[in-house]
Amino acid sequence: MNGVKEIFNKEMARIFKDKKMIFSVFFLPVIIMVGILGIINSLSQNMADDIEEHTSIVYMMNEPESFQAFLEASQTKCDVKNVEDMDDAKEEIKNGTADLIIEFPENFEMEVSDYKEGDTVPQIKTYYNPSEEYSSSAFQEISGGILELYRQSLLSERVGSLDNIAVFHVNSDNPDMVIQDDAKAGGKALGMMLPYLITILLFAGAMGIGTDMIAGEKERGTMASLLVTPVRRSSIVLGKVFALMVISGISSVIYLGAMIAAMPMMSGGETLNIQLSPKQGVMLGALLVSLAFLYSAIIVLLSVFAKTIKEANTYVTPAYMVILVVGLLTMFSTKGADLTSYCVPVYNSSLAMKEILTQEIAMSEYGITLGMTIVLGVLLCGVIVKAFESEKVMSL
Amino acid sequence: MIEIKNLTKVYRLNKKQMQESHTKNPKKVAVNHLSFLAKEGEIYGLLGPNGAGKTTTLRCIATIIKPTDGEIVVEGHEARKDSEAVRRSIGFLTSDIKLDPQFSVDYLFDFFGRLHNVPKDRLKARKEELFSYFGIRDFAHKPIKELSTGMKQKAAIAVSLVHDPKVIIFDEPTNGLDIITARSVTDYLRKLRDDGKVVIVSTHIMSEAQKLCDRIGVIIDGEKVAEGTVNELLIKTGGQDLEEAFFELYKAKKGA
Repeated sequence: MNGVKEIFNKEMARIFKDKKMIFSVFFLPVIIMVGILGIINSLSQNMADDIEEHTSIVYMMNEPESFQAFLEASQTKCDVKNVEDMDDAKEEIKNGTADLIIEFPENFEMEVSDYKEGDTVPQIKTYYNPSEEYSSSAFQEISGGILELYRQSLLSERVGSLDNIAVFHVNSDNPDMVIQDDAKAGGKALGMMLPYLITILLFAGAMGIGTDMIAGEKERGTMASLLVTPVRRSSIVLGKVFALMVISGISSVIYLGAMIAAMPMMSGGETLNIQLSPKQGVMLGALLVSLAFLYSAIIVLLSVFAKTIKEANTYVTPAYMVILVVGLLTMFSTKGADLTSYCVPVYNSSLAMKEILTQEIAMSEYGITLGMTIVLGVLLCGVIVKAFESEKVMSL
Repeated sequence: MIEIKNLTKVYRLNKKQMQESHTKNPKKVAVNHLSFLAKEGEIYGLLGPNGAGKTTTLRCIATIIKPTDGEIVVEGHEARKDSEAVRRSIGFLTSDIKLDPQFSVDYLFDFFGRLHNVPKDRLKARKEELFSYFGIRDFAHKPIKELSTGMKQKAAIAVSLVHDPKVIIFDEPTNGLDIITARSVTDYLRKLRDDGKVVIVSTHIMSEAQKLCDRIGVIIDGEKVAEGTVNELLIKTGGQDLEEAFFELYKAKKGA
């Protein structure tokens, strides 16, 4: 196969001899991704801080003195006002100038203390606006939290110790409640996300360069210079597909590394605990290489039929969508897959990756996946070679 | 030697192309039963107006496109059956085959040399010879995109000759070149002829054809209407020079 190496080396030189290209292919996407995550993170942090510092404006009606004391004791930041006109107060909630209304029934304390079995239980009504952050937060904190504590304190006044009415507790003192294999659990969290990320990144990393490598060369008129050399069409195709594989591999490793590094930023300090056994590592590695081969072949095939880079991008984008959706399918599937699922290309790779990480894959399933991926890649390369032989497709 | 027998190339037009050329016929005959022979030690010129089928003929010889009918034999290899052997023995230059703008002439010369399996020391000697003849050394390390039209053409010529081919096919090689560069190109083609190579050039520049070509085939509408040395063509048509001779042939073909 004379020529494969030369074509491969030239494609590599195209990327690695050009600093701008290295930057735009490998580092720009990472910088953009980390930058966006950083901005989102700091903005959401700001928002949380702002809500925490906000003094809630709470309207109260018929509030008993015991509740006022209770609220003050809880040290909740709030500015209590009396309801003079209920409709006005509701209007203020609606337009966001006030955060919460608490309406106690008249003679609330008396109703509570004089309660006899068979009486109607008094009702406290609260009003809030869920589309306002401050209002939601005040509702959660005061209506959900403090009123509940207030209820419990009144209840204990009535019945003495609360244990008198508690028939049983569930897990009130059981720190060993969770029984799981930590490695497997880590694999599960990782297994849900990683195949999705990897399939997307492998494809995305190869997209831009792949269309340029084929359709770009056609557009620039440089493809024909290769076609007048005695090198076989199949060598040209393989040289380019292999080069694209390596580029998509390198870029996905860089993207993935950056993502794992940026993980604490995304999940608020939590890091993913990734531990792979050598066997898992080899299985994953072989699968990723074959997947990079298949994706590169898909991108090259679609680009061959385009006359310009722009046209190639319109062909490749739908394929990217399919890859995205297929990745999602495995991300949210809980049922164990049957053997036929491992015969569906692309889908099977995500599935296999997930099962490798959770250590649930059978060798037969892995074998079928790897075989299918490679066979399809080879078949597509065959079609690409045929396309290269067609003067119409190559627009000569 | 190149032998072409009854070469025919028919293109299928799509709807858009049919509209553009105002025709309802989906077939366009670009070359029609063309035959000629080009031998070692001669420059054979294909002369014709734009769209006559010169480039199509040369592309068929270079095996970039396949003939619809007819036979092309280059150095004993049939173009359709043994296209790789044909490509090994030819150096092909045409304006719409371009060098990668991102790379330097130096890199591309080595790259194409390796694709042609030129041994390292031979490649070095070829580079020395061609780069000094065409004065490429001064810009050998600049990317193609930074070169002028003339420099690009010189680079393309040098790269197309990297493997010292027996057959040289140049499609309008002096197009867009200044008079000095054009002269160095035609002089080199003469040198190649004197070295015993088969040289085919296509051109629509009469004066160039008259001075350069040993034999000329005149093509109009995909058909060869006359062939011979300049003198033979002048005698045949009664023209004073090749331009007059060409117009006589053109009028006869078009029936005007």
